[in-house]
Amino acid sequence: MSASHSDSLIRFESISKKYGNFQALQNVSFEIREGEIVGFLGPNGAGKTTALRILAGFFPPSSGRVFIRGLDLFKYPHEAKRALGYLPESVNLYPDMKVGEYLRFVAKLKGVPSREQKLHVQNKMELCGLTEVERRLIGRLSKGYRQRVGIAQALISEPSVLVLDEPTTGLDPQQITQIRELIRAIGHHRAVILSTHILPEVSMLCNRVLMIHQGKILASGTVGELEAFLKDREVIHMMIKERAHMEIALRLLRSFPGIEDLKATETSRKEISISFETTCDEDLRLKISKLLVENDISLIEIQRVPLTLEDIFLGLLKQGKFAQRSGGHV
Amino acid sequence: MNKILAIAKREFASYFHSWIGVLTGVMFLLISGVFFVVLVLNYVKISMNPQQFGLSNFSGISQTQFVFGSFFTNLNVLLLFMVPILTMRSFAEERRQETLEILFTYPLSDFEIVIGKQLGIIWFFEVLMLPLLGYMAVFYWIGGQFDWGPTLLGFLGFWFLGMAYLAAGVFISTLTKHPVVSALGTFSILVLFWIFEWVAGITDGIWGRIFSELSPLDHYKNFSVGILSLQDLVYFLFFFFYFLFLTLRSIETRHWKTS
Repeated sequence: MSASHSDSLIRFESISKKYGNFQALQNVSFEIREGEIVGFLGPNGAGKTTALRILAGFFPPSSGRVFIRGLDLFKYPHEAKRALGYLPESVNLYPDMKVGEYLRFVAKLKGVPSREQKLHVQNKMELCGLTEVERRLIGRLSKGYRQRVGIAQALISEPSVLVLDEPTTGLDPQQITQIRELIRAIGHHRAVILSTHILPEVSMLCNRVLMIHQGKILASGTVGELEAFLKDREVIHMMIKERAHMEIALRLLRSFPGIEDLKATETSRKEISISFETTCDEDLRLKISKLLVENDISLIEIQRVPLTLEDIFLGLLKQGKFAQRSGGHV
Repeated sequence: MNKILAIAKREFASYFHSWIGVLTGVMFLLISGVFFVVLVLNYVKISMNPQQFGLSNFSGISQTQFVFGSFFTNLNVLLLFMVPILTMRSFAEERRQETLEILFTYPLSDFEIVIGKQLGIIWFFEVLMLPLLGYMAVFYWIGGQFDWGPTLLGFLGFWFLGMAYLAAGVFISTLTKHPVVSALGTFSILVLFWIFEWVAGITDGIWGRIFSELSPLDHYKNFSVGILSLQDLVYFLFFFFYFLFLTLRSIETRHWKTS
């Protein structure tokens, strides 16, 4: 409870979690400050849900400590959990309760003073757009509305820390947009951590990314930082018209130094699509197009593709990058 | 305390939101009603002509004892079927629906969750017991000689027995994700306890004594014949709190089990 962690609302201190012989989390540490929306990114089974469940106080870690607003979550669970809102991965709420009734129930359990309960619940329903379904049974709501009820219950008692496990999974595109807007709106003055395996979501919503794989943090930083880190890699896509030219084109491309992952596929329009990664700093497009034209190959398209988080992630997973990174600033 | 009551209220209300709760209530009242009517009619039949049934002096048998004594003894058999159904949803259903997960992340202790649920279930059981008072009214109204002590003690015993069985059922419910498995498991446990009485009846000496002391029915019988003893009270309280303790330990296993 020293003053040094008072600026970070969430502090995960060398957390490990074992299920029997299975090591779900291995020495995971991070901090999240007020106003930050942090994306917790990783493939299925990476340990995201385990980490978030520990953070939500569902179960304790095998070793390590969690601080919520400087309070040790497992030493002072009552006080710490009061500052915490949690949306589980599969939002399962009592189907036999009505929305308003359920949220008032949650308010009681979270210890909202009984005089304020009604107004408090009313506010949260308005914020999450639930006012018109107040009297409907949760079991009869659409998935999108149920997700909103889930977010509303997390918001009850004004927690300063929000833990959202895959908040947009299973929703249709319109609902996803609405939920993202809602998360952005409630993210002010709070620390939000949300897990996802949808990469674009992170660049849209989060100011910072934590990448996790096999129970370890691979990298942490802003989306821009991670992109900069892999700036020396880029992907070039090109299309050529004639199938007969494919072999020559591939042979020519192989002559360039530093080209990796060369792939050629035939599209439905009988054109050949070629893509490759390059580590070269200069723009190869000019050289390539010139060379191909000189060899009478009809090049109809060539473009440089900016790296997506997906590429970054795959790049980090490659052994070399991982080793380079694991000792870094996490 | 407010939190415990909130959980208890939700648990209690959930019985009225499902056909299982309502159906269990209806069946309980129906079958107990049949028991009562049959016992009263039996008494009437025997008392008309005791000699025919090999009884020389029927007036020595108390009406209350004949009707309500047997009534409460029969009811304990009903409990064997009712308790598994009442408790199967408490934790198993919540684990199946995964509604328990959120509950564990609220500022609540495991004890508040368990005692709240237990309380809600006991409330529903008590609501089912209320109409039994109607049988007493009917008995009085048709001119029965009413002996208050044994009858009220019979009620009290039935309440204790029900609480004890419900606590065992809630514990079994924490062990599985499947309500049906929970119901079958609870039924098996209760039948096992029921067999204790039977074993005690056919075993002599120290073993007979041990089984008799362990059997909830032997302790319950004292109530229905109008005996209130500290021993029986302690037995049922121990039974109840022992299973409450096991329930608490059981939901703690989430700390190290995979799911």
